[in-house]
Amino acid sequence: MAEGRRRSATTAERLGRMLVIVPYLVQHPGTSLDAASRLFDVPAVQLRKDLDLLFMSGLPPYGPGDLIDVDVDEDGCVWISMADHFARPLRLTRQEALAVSVRATELLATPGVPQAPALAGALAKLRDALGADTLGDASGIEAAEAGRAPAHLGVLQGASAAHRRVRIDYAAASTSARSTRTIEPEAVFASAGHWYAVAWDVDADGERLFRIDRVVSAEPTDETFEPRGLEGATRPLYTPGEGDTAVRLLLRPSARWVAEYYATTDVRVRDDGSVEATFPAKQTGWVARLLLRLAPEAEAIEPPELAGEVRELARQALEVYGR
Amino acid sequence: MAGDDGMEPLERLLNLVGLLLETPIPLTFEQIRETLEAYRSDNLDSAKRKFERDKDILREYGVPLEMAPTDAWDVEQGYRIRKERYYLPEIAFTPEEVTALFVAAQGASEETAATQGVRKLLYGADGGLLAGDGGGPLIAGSDARIERVLAAADAASGHRRTRFGYRTSQGSVSDREVDAYGVVFRGGHWYLVGLDRERDAMRAFRLSRFTTETEDLGEGSGPPQGFRAIDHVEAGPWHPSGEDRATIAFSPAAAVLAEGSFPGAARTQERDDGWTLFEIPAADEQALAAMVLQYGADAEVIAPGPLRDEVIRRLEAVADG
Repeated sequence: MAEGRRRSATTAERLGRMLVIVPYLVQHPGTSLDAASRLFDVPAVQLRKDLDLLFMSGLPPYGPGDLIDVDVDEDGCVWISMADHFARPLRLTRQEALAVSVRATELLATPGVPQAPALAGALAKLRDALGADTLGDASGIEAAEAGRAPAHLGVLQGASAAHRRVRIDYAAASTSARSTRTIEPEAVFASAGHWYAVAWDVDADGERLFRIDRVVSAEPTDETFEPRGLEGATRPLYTPGEGDTAVRLLLRPSARWVAEYYATTDVRVRDDGSVEATFPAKQTGWVARLLLRLAPEAEAIEPPELAGEVRELARQALEVYGR
Repeated sequence: MAGDDGMEPLERLLNLVGLLLETPIPLTFEQIRETLEAYRSDNLDSAKRKFERDKDILREYGVPLEMAPTDAWDVEQGYRIRKERYYLPEIAFTPEEVTALFVAAQGASEETAATQGVRKLLYGADGGLLAGDGGGPLIAGSDARIERVLAAADAASGHRRTRFGYRTSQGSVSDREVDAYGVVFRGGHWYLVGLDRERDAMRAFRLSRFTTETEDLGEGSGPPQGFRAIDHVEAGPWHPSGEDRATIAFSPAAAVLAEGSFPGAARTQERDDGWTLFEIPAADEQALAAMVLQYGADAEVIAPGPLRDEVIRRLEAVADG
C-alpha cells in the first residue's frame, strides 16, 4: 500500500537514468553530485547510491581491473573511469524523439520566443542524426508561422527576470475598460496561442493573470520585488473563486465548441443535439459578448438576468451604428 | 533492495548491458549465465525467468537488444546489442541549441518523454549553463493531451492508417479513417492532417475534438509530392491570403485587443473621436461578423456594406428578441 509519499524509482527507471547520467559524468569529469542531481532531477542521495552500484559493475571477467571506477571526492565531485562502454548515451527512443519534436514545434509556433532560431537549428540536426529509423518521416511535424509577438512581451520578460515592478495599462476582456496598475510579473509563459504574465497586482493586493496582448503600455519602474513563488505555465488559466457566477448556456450544434473551449462543470446533451453547458465566470460581461457573437445559436439560461444583459449590449452596439 | 542472488537488480542490468555491448559474437542465454554470476545462483528455470524480466526492462528503456544466430550455420540464437543502434550518434550542437532544446522540453507536467530525450543530448553540453536556468516552462502546451499529440505524430511520421472518433465544429460525431501525413501546431491547437478515406479528400482534424483514442489500422498511403501539412490547416475565417478586406473601427480600449485577435490586421488611421480604423482580411463574412459582434459597442464595421448590414441585422435580432 502506497502511503501517499513519492513512489521510489523502479529498477527500470534507475537503469534508464544511469545509462544517461553516466555518459555525462564521463564526459564532464569532476561534476559535483549536486549539479548532476539538479540537471537530471534525481535526489543526490539516490544518485550516490546508484553510483555505488555502478562501481561494482564492469566487463568480463569482472576482475579488479575490469570494474568501473567511481570516485566521489570530499567536495562531492564525481570522477568515473574504466567506463568506455558507457561513455556515450543511449539513442533517443522513437517516443522521446517525437516528444522532443512536438514540444519544439509548439515553441516554434509561438511568437516572441528568443530561443526559436537556435531551436530550429537544433531540431534539424537532431532529425538528421537520428534519421528515418528513429523518427520516420518527421517532415510532417510542422509549426504554423509564429506571427507577431505582443508588443510588450519583451518588457515583461525582462522585468520578470530582473524582478522589477512594472506599471501597465491593461484592457480587460470583459468590458474593454482600461485600467492602470502596478504589477510584479513573476512568470511569463505562452499557452494556447497567447502569452500570459502571472503577477502580483500591487494595487489590488492579489494574484492576477494578464494576457500580454491586452497590455496597452508597459513601463518598468525602479522598484524590485521579492518573488512569492506564484505558479507559472503549469497553472490552469482559470482559477475558480468564491464570487464566481454559475453561467448556464443552451448551445445549438454550431455553438457547441463553447462547451469544449471553456472549463465546464456540467454538460448535458439534449435529444436534438444541442447541449446545456455550465461553467463558472468571475464576471458575466464577457459571457454577454460571447452570446452576442453566437446568437441565435446560443442562449442564456442562468443567471436569469444574463439574457437581458445581452439585449442591452445589442442596443448599445446599435447606437454605434446610429440606430 | 537486494535480490535473492544478493545482488541489486540494477547492478545485474548494468553488467548485462555492458556484456552484450562488448561481445564480439551473439551470446546464448547459457553463455550469459556462465559469465554473469547473478544468473548462476538460481536454478535454471528461475534464472531464465529473471533473464526474461531483465530483457523486458531493457526493451522498455529502448535498449536495442536483438537476437542473432551465433554462427554461420544458424543453429543457435544468441543475444547482443549492436553499438551503432545503441549509441547516440555524435551531434554537434552549439550551446545555444542545447539550451533551446532544454527550454522546449520543459513541459507543464513534470517528467515527460521530451525531458528524458533531451537529457540524453546533454552529455556533450556544458551542464553548468543549464542547471542555473530555473525560469520554469515557457509554454504550457496545447489543449490536447500530450499522449494524443504523440500518437498522432507517431502515425503521421510512420505514414500509418488510423481510425478515431471525431466531433466537427458543428457538433456531429462520426468515425474517421485517415491516412496520416502530418501534424500541425497552430494558434495553440494541434491538428492531424491526412487523407480522409471515406471522403477521399485531404482534411485537417483538431486533436482536441477527437472523441476516442487513435487506433492503428496498419500501413497507410504516403503523402503526395510537395505535400505540406500546414497548407491544409485553415488560419481562420480571416485567412490573410484572401483579397477581400473589411474596414472596421475599434474604440480606444478595444483597439489593442483587436490587433492581436485578427491576424493580418493593419491600422490605417485614427478617427477624430479616438477610434482606430483597421483593414482586416475577410474571406468569410459570417465568421467575421461573429468576431466583430463579440466586441459589442466597441467596434463598428465601416465597409463592406453587406458586412455592415449583416452585423446590424444580427444586433437588431438580439435587441428585439
